[in-house]
Amino acid sequence: MNARRLRTLVRREVNATLRDPFTLGVLIAVPLVALLLFGFILSTKVEDMRIGVYDASRSSASRRLIADLAASDSFRPRRFETGEAIERALVRGEIGAGLVIPADFERSLLRATAGGAPPELRVLYDGAEAVLAGNAEAFFAGIARATGAQLVASDVTARRLAGAGAGSPAPGGGVGVVTRALFNPSFEGTPFMVAGTFGFVLSFLTTLLTAVSIVNERQAGTFDQLQLTPASTLEILLGKLLPLGAVFAFDVVLMVIAAGLFMGVWPQGSALLFIAISAFYVVFSLSLGLIFSATSATAAEAVQKTVLSSIPTIQLSGFAFPIRSMPLPIQWFTELIPATHYIRVSRAIYLRGAGVAELLPELAILVLFGAFLLGIALRTLERRA
Amino acid sequence: MADPIILARGLSKRFGDFTAVDAIDLEVERGVIFAFLGANGSGKSTTIRMLIGLLTPSAGTIVLDGIDVGLHPRQVRERIGYMGQKVSLYAGLTLRQNVEFYAGLYGIEAGDLERRWGAVRERFDLAQAEHERPENLPAGVRQRAGLALSTLHAPRVLFLDEPTAGVDVESRGLFWELIQDASDEGVTVFVTTHFLEEADYCDRVAFIDAGRLIADSTPEGLRARYSSGYRIEASLAAGSRERVLAELGRAGFVAEAQGDQLVARIPALDSEGLRRLSLVLGPEAAASVRIEQASMNDVFRRLIREGAALAAPAAGAAT
Repeated sequence: MNARRLRTLVRREVNATLRDPFTLGVLIAVPLVALLLFGFILSTKVEDMRIGVYDASRSSASRRLIADLAASDSFRPRRFETGEAIERALVRGEIGAGLVIPADFERSLLRATAGGAPPELRVLYDGAEAVLAGNAEAFFAGIARATGAQLVASDVTARRLAGAGAGSPAPGGGVGVVTRALFNPSFEGTPFMVAGTFGFVLSFLTTLLTAVSIVNERQAGTFDQLQLTPASTLEILLGKLLPLGAVFAFDVVLMVIAAGLFMGVWPQGSALLFIAISAFYVVFSLSLGLIFSATSATAAEAVQKTVLSSIPTIQLSGFAFPIRSMPLPIQWFTELIPATHYIRVSRAIYLRGAGVAELLPELAILVLFGAFLLGIALRTLERRA
Repeated sequence: MADPIILARGLSKRFGDFTAVDAIDLEVERGVIFAFLGANGSGKSTTIRMLIGLLTPSAGTIVLDGIDVGLHPRQVRERIGYMGQKVSLYAGLTLRQNVEFYAGLYGIEAGDLERRWGAVRERFDLAQAEHERPENLPAGVRQRAGLALSTLHAPRVLFLDEPTAGVDVESRGLFWELIQDASDEGVTVFVTTHFLEEADYCDRVAFIDAGRLIADSTPEGLRARYSSGYRIEASLAAGSRERVLAELGRAGFVAEAQGDQLVARIPALDSEGLRRLSLVLGPEAAASVRIEQASMNDVFRRLIREGAALAAPAAGAAT
């Protein structure tokens, strides 16, 4: 080992790294972003979740329960006038969970102190958000039981002070929680993950495959030649997108069939609608790959860009981690990720059987994203430096 | 020059603080072979990419066959053929499939394609290579195939960017014959090369150095201006040397005796110069006459030595 030679080699490597702003940025940004994403944003803790509450009891006990929910960091209660209104809000994604407090809540609580059956709170989750529902359920049950126990204890104390005597509080805090999930009653994770996997595959793989296409052609010299033919930029763009789009659309069909045959997960809604929307989303993802390709000097750079862009796509799109559990500013940011909307549509069709009318807002956003990215891809290809 | 097919005025290209091409003017006459010479990194490829519309100039205008390239880059595409430093054939496709691909983009119908490709295939000697993939072809054949493809749609101007780079000497000679054939058919050829000796295949030569045009003339004009011209060595009988020396002087040669030889120089040896030389030396029973031409490398070295400060208009005056 020669120290001088080693120093020379190390110095060259350091200089090469520091000279390249992209590599430097990756070296600094990726660890920080990963740390923040996994440690802060992607925590399984439930924070600030909007919960719809229909209080049929309108008693002091129910008001106390709602106040305790509001006082926790986990839930933000919003009142509704009927149970059906809560279900509708849940479907629209306005709330993450629903709570129905029965009319006899306070009376049941009092009966429970005398050894009667404890009151039952009905909690509704969107089963299409299986992970979120699983996380939230534990938090909710904890708060409800703690509140119930305190209410029962205070009631027992009051009765003792009044000399009326009382039985022991019901085991488990005196409040029962009955959970019901809409659309995915068993909270089964497979349909949830299957529907999300389409988003992951179509976002990442399509971009990765196209990311190297133009940069490779540029290096081979064929792209210059192509640009000098009478073919317009739009023709060149579509010439790249359509064949790959068709291949990936076929992939979607295969995935739908495979998920159905091997996992028993079939779309609850129209498979044709799902495939059509997926085919459109593929074209949009391919555009993103072309943008990376057209703005990179080498294939390696294009791949690096793709991998970097996949981090927020995977972590923040709701594919694996529930968006409603993320801090509010991050939830806003996730709306800027096209995969968020596609995965939402995918789960809505797969798990809720949603149709076009219900999906219109999300579809409109996807169309806007698609038009925007196609436009950028077109401009990027047209640019002559 | 009346109605040049390529007319560039004040053409510049800057990349950040670096000026790759600095306010050059170019005029290329129809039907000529125009060589654009310079060292590696001198701005040749940047200039050619601006001329064909692949790069947007930072300043200046380009008119190609009457069309403003900056305003209508797509309109010039059918009029130009281009072959870059890397031959633009798709790997994985046979030569024939490449031909069909480009023919499709240029809208050449099947019957027309057979006729055109048949002629081009024979002229470029590509029959053996037609069903081979480019990656399996020797470099020289690949270059010919690239040139064949760039002429398939019958362009009016052919831009060749270092077409003979990486090709052996024999293939380069054959390649230049093909370029001259194209020129004979009326195609204007704009060719960049760093093989300076290839300038002698061309009608007109421009030199670029560090982004500036430092000369633009015919090969002979450049030799006359930027070299000691032609050197003629004659071995004569001792008795006639004095007379021949005097006659060469009267015929416009700068001549001197060196040992038992006469050495004469003249800036340019055109047909009139050759006639005068033969009039002087013809009657002599000379043992031998040797004529040396100054190489383009010498011309370029002298151009650089004299200072790249020579502006294009001054260089043009050397024509």
